[in-house]
Amino acid sequence: MLLGIDVGGTHTDAVMIATNGIHAAAKVPTDHEDLLASVNAAIGEILRDVDPDAIRQINLSTTLTTNAIIEEKLEPVGMLVTGGPGIAPGHYTIGRHFHLLRGAIDHRGTEQEPLPDAELDAAVEACRAAGVRVFGAVTKFSPRNPVQEEQIVRRLQPDADFISIGHTLSGRLNFPRRVATAFYNSAVWRAYIDFIDAVETGVRKHGISARMDILKADGGTMPAAVSRTVPVQSILSGPAASIMGIVALCDIDEDAVILDIGGTTTDIAVFADGAPLVEPDGIAIGGHPTLVRAVITRSIGIGGDSEVVVENGDLRIGPRRRGPALACGGPVPTLIDAGNVTGTAQVGNPTASAAGFRELAAATGIDPEELARRAIARAMEQIRDAAHGLVTELNARPVYTIHELLTGKTLSPRQVYVMGGPAAVLAEPLAQAFGLPVTVPARHAVANAIGAALTRTTMEIELLADTERKELSIPNLDIRQKISFQFTLADAVAAGREHLLAFLRRQQIEDIDDDMIQVVEADSFNMISNYFTVGRNIRVSCQLKPSIRAAYREAVR
Amino acid sequence: MSTDHRRLGIIFFPAYDWAIDATHPEREERLLYTQDQLREEGIFDLPGISEHKPEVATAGMIERVHFCIPEVDAVTTPSHLIAAGGAVTAARLVMEKKVDRAFAMVRPPGHHAMKVVHGNRGFCSLNNEAVLVEYLREECGVRRIAIVDTDCHHGDGTQDIYWHDPEVLFISLHQDGRTIFPGTGFVRENGGPNAIGATVNIPLPPQTGDEGFLTVMERVVLPILEAFKPEIVINSAGQDNHYTDPITNMSFSAAGYARLNEMLNPHIAVLEGGYAIQGALPYTNLGICLAMAGHDFSAVREPDYDPERLRQSARVSEYIDTLCAQVMELHRRPPAPAGTPGEFAVRDKSIYYDTDGITEEQTERVLICRACAGLRIIETRASSFPLSICIEIPFAACRSCREAGEKHLREAKNSLRYRLIKLIDRPGKNVESFSDQDVSPRSKYFF
Repeated sequence: MLLGIDVGGTHTDAVMIATNGIHAAAKVPTDHEDLLASVNAAIGEILRDVDPDAIRQINLSTTLTTNAIIEEKLEPVGMLVTGGPGIAPGHYTIGRHFHLLRGAIDHRGTEQEPLPDAELDAAVEACRAAGVRVFGAVTKFSPRNPVQEEQIVRRLQPDADFISIGHTLSGRLNFPRRVATAFYNSAVWRAYIDFIDAVETGVRKHGISARMDILKADGGTMPAAVSRTVPVQSILSGPAASIMGIVALCDIDEDAVILDIGGTTTDIAVFADGAPLVEPDGIAIGGHPTLVRAVITRSIGIGGDSEVVVENGDLRIGPRRRGPALACGGPVPTLIDAGNVTGTAQVGNPTASAAGFRELAAATGIDPEELARRAIARAMEQIRDAAHGLVTELNARPVYTIHELLTGKTLSPRQVYVMGGPAAVLAEPLAQAFGLPVTVPARHAVANAIGAALTRTTMEIELLADTERKELSIPNLDIRQKISFQFTLADAVAAGREHLLAFLRRQQIEDIDDDMIQVVEADSFNMISNYFTVGRNIRVSCQLKPSIRAAYREAVR
Repeated sequence: MSTDHRRLGIIFFPAYDWAIDATHPEREERLLYTQDQLREEGIFDLPGISEHKPEVATAGMIERVHFCIPEVDAVTTPSHLIAAGGAVTAARLVMEKKVDRAFAMVRPPGHHAMKVVHGNRGFCSLNNEAVLVEYLREECGVRRIAIVDTDCHHGDGTQDIYWHDPEVLFISLHQDGRTIFPGTGFVRENGGPNAIGATVNIPLPPQTGDEGFLTVMERVVLPILEAFKPEIVINSAGQDNHYTDPITNMSFSAAGYARLNEMLNPHIAVLEGGYAIQGALPYTNLGICLAMAGHDFSAVREPDYDPERLRQSARVSEYIDTLCAQVMELHRRPPAPAGTPGEFAVRDKSIYYDTDGITEEQTERVLICRACAGLRIIETRASSFPLSICIEIPFAACRSCREAGEKHLREAKNSLRYRLIKLIDRPGKNVESFSDQDVSPRSKYFF
């Protein structure tokens, strides 16, 4: 059986799923001061109904790193960076222990200027004197040649508790993002491993010996052991867990809009041919763009508890939430109250809702029920406009070949899937606003925990093969090897698949076969010098996409 | 976001699946390292900088600029329509105020493509800047436009298209035509009889460095722009003046390109040539982007940049001093317009399409007119296509030029001498193409 735990902002949800159905579910309040206690409480509830030995796998989604960053509970990080020529260093300077060192590597990976040991020594000394124990080692173009990052790591190793090494975080090119990713990764590292240690101890105490994976923001998981070196990847995994829950609960194979309607906000995601879209570069953390990949979502300030206001005869919904609905003892009329008035909702005390809307309507001369209907319609149109905006933005994303430009896919959603507390109440008005069929999956209230339980490992690699230099590299797997001048694009694709599979097998990740690996990019460029071909520049990018354990899908339908 | 930053839209389209041929400089790999550099520098994450997809130029956008013989499809591939479309997208973003500045980093280039197109010359088939200028005039109501061509080769195509047009100022800085393709662009080439002074050529000696280019900007380009008062300034941004370029002989640097763009402050830049794809383009493109967006570019330099080695000689500096004085003298005291209004001024031209190996003989007649760019009639015969005639009633044509155009079209149809008769009627927003087999138009577009 699989145990999924989602530590959310308000509640911690857990579900226990076997191939024949959901065996247990738990919901406990999240204690922000003690996330560990919330996790233990949820596990305790689950184990009332389930034998710990039956648990084969735990998947955990946690807000720990998210909270640490929001609350700025960050450990000081010594950043040792070589930038070389290019954009001004002000664009990538981060933290109070940022040391910009001499040294430069160019886009082909040639070391153009060495990193002087004396400068490195001085920077390390300064960090030591300041009591800094965790570090980031990042150099420009390190995915092309990590030699200077390795030099920094060698110098730091005797003193450092932890070092985030730029090229191992991602093979994608973006130096300022690599700097910020390394910074946050080191800044949350200690808090994260303390937490994971404690969770693992707690799990063992409960008599569970299963393996544990950690959810990421891209809708997939990583082994707990891997997460100890890349804790930043555990950030913002909550929305991704919910989206993967929808994937588990529904058969989606078309372009679709996914809405998660909460009390204050609605999160919007878009699926292409049934698969969630992932931000190609990464999300911003603390205002800094990073290389942490995430499911693309947009948030709009409209939810069930959004205040309904009449202002100069005009209806306005949200973005403020002043409390729950009048029907639940709140101070002002909300969308939920509007639902009570129109009759689509039966929440709390409908008399309070009716009174609130009578009062609102008095100023307008409109019938209270009509006003409530218009309030809901207006709110749903705002959600629709935001979703359309996101689709338009995604369709406008640049492409780099004539083939893609002329024949590329255009997203065109055919279906809307809704989850969250007010989902059922708003389904009909959403269908009106979107002009599309709307589905509310039966178990949408625990979609987050189901998604957490059933989602699988994701991983991506970028491979570069340069037959002029006779070198192949996969930066985030720290692979560099010799190739022949005859190495082809097909060889590169095969090598990319092989290395990715080998990595996953080393992590003891089961049920991975070759056809689950998707080749996202495979290009080969002839390198010409003076009208002669001197080699091929081959770029391959492979990924294991977010997906759901197929064997358990029927169990949750 | 600091207030001196500008919103810059970058239309990056490297056409990774198109080349003139496998080992040609204009090939798939050309912008690969530029993309690596721009990505690694995090350019697209800088405040105000955004990346955009190019549109595909429509046949109407092309046909109101060029006489394509026999038709657009015959002389272009989708790559050309996308490069031209990218230039239009740049203009659209600026005119719709979505950005303050836009850079179309597209390929293939366009500035050697002339009014009549039989094929590809100097790697160019369609003039991307002209397609963009006519979009600005036809669809955005812009009237006065300046194109500053900073490619190392003379922008002979753009010059040919706007030779008679007093409302489009064309300034070209380039390596002296006596030493490089296409062999034109001398100081005395300063515009047709209806547009004297609206073409400015500054042929620079080989080994001109940063100092020389920036001197020309300060003493010639900026004062002439100041006097012309364009609503929109376009940089036809070739990057082959770079000291590492394999097919030119100049000593310009990435920092120099950035500084030039800071001085020029163009609304729109369109990539032209530049074939040092590893040693130059990643750095020049980075410098131009930063300068256009108003970001600090002081740390942009090539790995092998050595200002001492690249410093231009005293002889080159002296030559450029004299050249600047000459150009300004001609600009301040242009020769009186030749000819009499109502008469035709005639030029004969031989044009060689180096990429496609086509030779063309042209006789161009333009009606001398003080009110508009003048009716333009081009008889063309190419090694690839028999005698044809092209009639252009220009943008904002006066009534008598319009009437003359209609009369000459009738005469051409009656003469039975031409395989093709092509008309661009800008005031009528109409282009037509007739073949000698047929009196009804083979094709007809309204734009």
